[in-house]
Amino acid sequence: MPLIIKDEYPEKLFREDGKRLDGRDKNELRPIKMEVGVLENADGSAYLEWGNNKIYCAVYGPREVHPHHLAKPDRGILRVFYRMATFSVFERKRPAPGRREKEVSMVITDCLKPVLFLELYPGTSFEVYINVLDADGGTRCACTTVAALALADAGIPMRSLVTAVAIGKIDGELITDLSGIEDKAGEADLPCALTWFNEELSLLQFDGKMDLDEFNKSLTLAKEALSKIYEIQLNALKKKYIEIQEEYSGGEK
Amino acid sequence: MEDEKNEPNEEPTTDNSEDVDADEFDDEETSRDLVVPGETLTEDTKTYLPGRGTIFNKDRTKIISLNIGLKQVKRNYINVIPLRGFYTPRPGDKVIALVTDKNPVKYICDINAKDRGILKPKNTVARGKPRGYRGGAPDRQNISTEKYSIGDILIVKVLSADRLNKPELTTVGKYLGKRRDGLVITIDTPKIPRVIGRSGSMIKMLKDLTKSNIFVTQNGRIWLKSEDIAYERLLIDAIRKIEKEAHTVGLTDRMSEYIKNEKKIRGMN
Amino acid sequence: MMNIKRVISTIEKNYILSNLKKGERIDGRDLWQYRDWNIKSNVIASAEGSAEVSLGKTKVITGVKYDVGTPFPDLPNEGVCTFMAELLPLASPLFERGPPNEQSIELARVVDRGIRHADCVQTKKLCIKEKKAVYIIFVDIYVINYSGNLIDAGGISSLTALISSKIPEGKWENDEVVWTGKYFTGKTLVNELPIVSTYGKIGDIIFSDPSLPEELACDGKISISVTEDKITSIQKSGSATFSIEEVEMLTKKSMEFGKKTRKDLNLWQYKR
Repeated sequence: MPLIIKDEYPEKLFREDGKRLDGRDKNELRPIKMEVGVLENADGSAYLEWGNNKIYCAVYGPREVHPHHLAKPDRGILRVFYRMATFSVFERKRPAPGRREKEVSMVITDCLKPVLFLELYPGTSFEVYINVLDADGGTRCACTTVAALALADAGIPMRSLVTAVAIGKIDGELITDLSGIEDKAGEADLPCALTWFNEELSLLQFDGKMDLDEFNKSLTLAKEALSKIYEIQLNALKKKYIEIQEEYSGGEK
Repeated sequence: MEDEKNEPNEEPTTDNSEDVDADEFDDEETSRDLVVPGETLTEDTKTYLPGRGTIFNKDRTKIISLNIGLKQVKRNYINVIPLRGFYTPRPGDKVIALVTDKNPVKYICDINAKDRGILKPKNTVARGKPRGYRGGAPDRQNISTEKYSIGDILIVKVLSADRLNKPELTTVGKYLGKRRDGLVITIDTPKIPRVIGRSGSMIKMLKDLTKSNIFVTQNGRIWLKSEDIAYERLLIDAIRKIEKEAHTVGLTDRMSEYIKNEKKIRGMN
Repeated sequence: MMNIKRVISTIEKNYILSNLKKGERIDGRDLWQYRDWNIKSNVIASAEGSAEVSLGKTKVITGVKYDVGTPFPDLPNEGVCTFMAELLPLASPLFERGPPNEQSIELARVVDRGIRHADCVQTKKLCIKEKKAVYIIFVDIYVINYSGNLIDAGGISSLTALISSKIPEGKWENDEVVWTGKYFTGKTLVNELPIVSTYGKIGDIIFSDPSLPEELACDGKISISVTEDKITSIQKSGSATFSIEEVEMLTKKSMEFGKKTRKDLNLWQYKR
């Protein structure tokens, strides 16, 4: 039976004052908070709040491969498990992983692989568990971003971090960082991620309609946004160490 | 049984600081510059070469860090001393193993590494002729896995380890073998040298001030035993503090202050 | 799938037991002392009710969602409240991914029974139209960090999530459910506050709120749910046996704990 309140979207996605429905400018990011080393039982972990998105990520590895037949003799394998909690969305989601979750898991896996040195760890497995507890648009980008932090926290050698963001089009205008409503009701959605060691795209998907001009402009907007988010990632990684150093150095170096 | 008598009765009273990497956190050449994966360490690739935890970028114009850690310049090598990481077994390492499984031909042990270690019965018994024998066939009895049980804590040495095979272990050697008491804690592997300190200064201070026996091993595990639980709790808290502050300066003195203060606060002598 | 059970070392188990015999727990607590509770409600914007609860380092996030469905034929004017628990792999290397296993099913069922038999959730108030439309309330418990005693943390987080709920009110009109424009809150949904207390037993010694090493070392556990004056559910697990005197002592203790916990945590403050 349908829910009592329907999941409806407004006609216009811009307000009278020209701002987006949540008060943002066209190219403004939502508030982002990141923290590393939050789960003591995992080898590496990170937590991310991005707008209303709330995501935990844990990394285990390198470890033995279960089931054994998946192990590769010449390299390690990377497995990402992107899962959404039942209560993370408007209409309760069934607990078992669906097709979308499996697809997103695969996309994130391919996105993270280029920064790892899997060939150094044959016969082993690196597992990345990402649980979205509250979702509000752009989850695959948020999850990629937090997964890169968790991998670094696990002490796994990486060529660089990876950062992701979704650019979109609503009411004919290009915007940065789609929220849930903007994603569902908008005209285009372009999630992408950059690996910083070579500044190339390792995640790229597109849904909607855009002309070539808009598409190129979107990639430029993405690059600008990604640089800002990257700064936040770097600070999150260093923060707890620097705070401790400052507490005890008192000026001496 | 003959074997029982040959078991090491003494507790390890010395650590194996000669085996563990020098305390690079306390090294003059280790800066307190925190770096992260992908961070540029230098663009002067004429003067410097990439060392531990670093790599050239694609067109060899920069040296970048692979890990989160502290930047160190030694001679003309740039290294990164990692703050996070996992244990990789090397032959000769002394580690603390937990027997998790056994079958008639081998013990399988958790050594806090990507692979579990294998302990074969022949590596649990010292070589040499059993007393009373004069030549003759070797004793078949060392093909059994009766000596140790699941749940046992063993101090072992890594005999062999490579990328493709599971590490092989032995309990034959000084201070090796089953531990019957005490406690084992696990810390971040890269922080282990910090617990030992430069020339063993940190571990000596810990032992003296908490009246404990401490055995630090390469796989991030530490065996400890004190007079009573109050000392054990204090020692564990101290080790956790070292783990958290390994990258700061003046740690050994600060830890000594901390322990003395805590003893007062907790009403210990 | 291989069962990766963590083996606790014999020396650690002996350490815990020998200290327990001297009345010492390894983290310095008394035998009947709980670790610190930390409760935050309404943490998930997408959920109708939610709570993030930490008991020591054990951390659990529980969310409440609703749906509208047809009632069970034998209870035509009652809604349904159903519990699920997931032991996320991120909480511990001991938790494997995959469908719920015995441990997660036990967690969900023990929390469910403690709450159900206390008539805690007012399922009779959850009927929109007899035989046609009732509320289905989902309480989903996600374990974020495992450091012992998931049941007590699961219980408190479920209660808090239910109390903090704000659910759209529906009425039956023209053969369908329409929104009245209003919501009903935890005050309507929740009637009683059943509190579950879990005890561990190692050798002859029983203690409250097992921490992780204690839980891995223990021979058995028992969880007892109580309201102000009634016992509403009991679950014994593990291979240890409990004497009748011990069980009577523990039910009495649980009543005391229940009263104290209700007072200390004051869960009604989380009503929206």
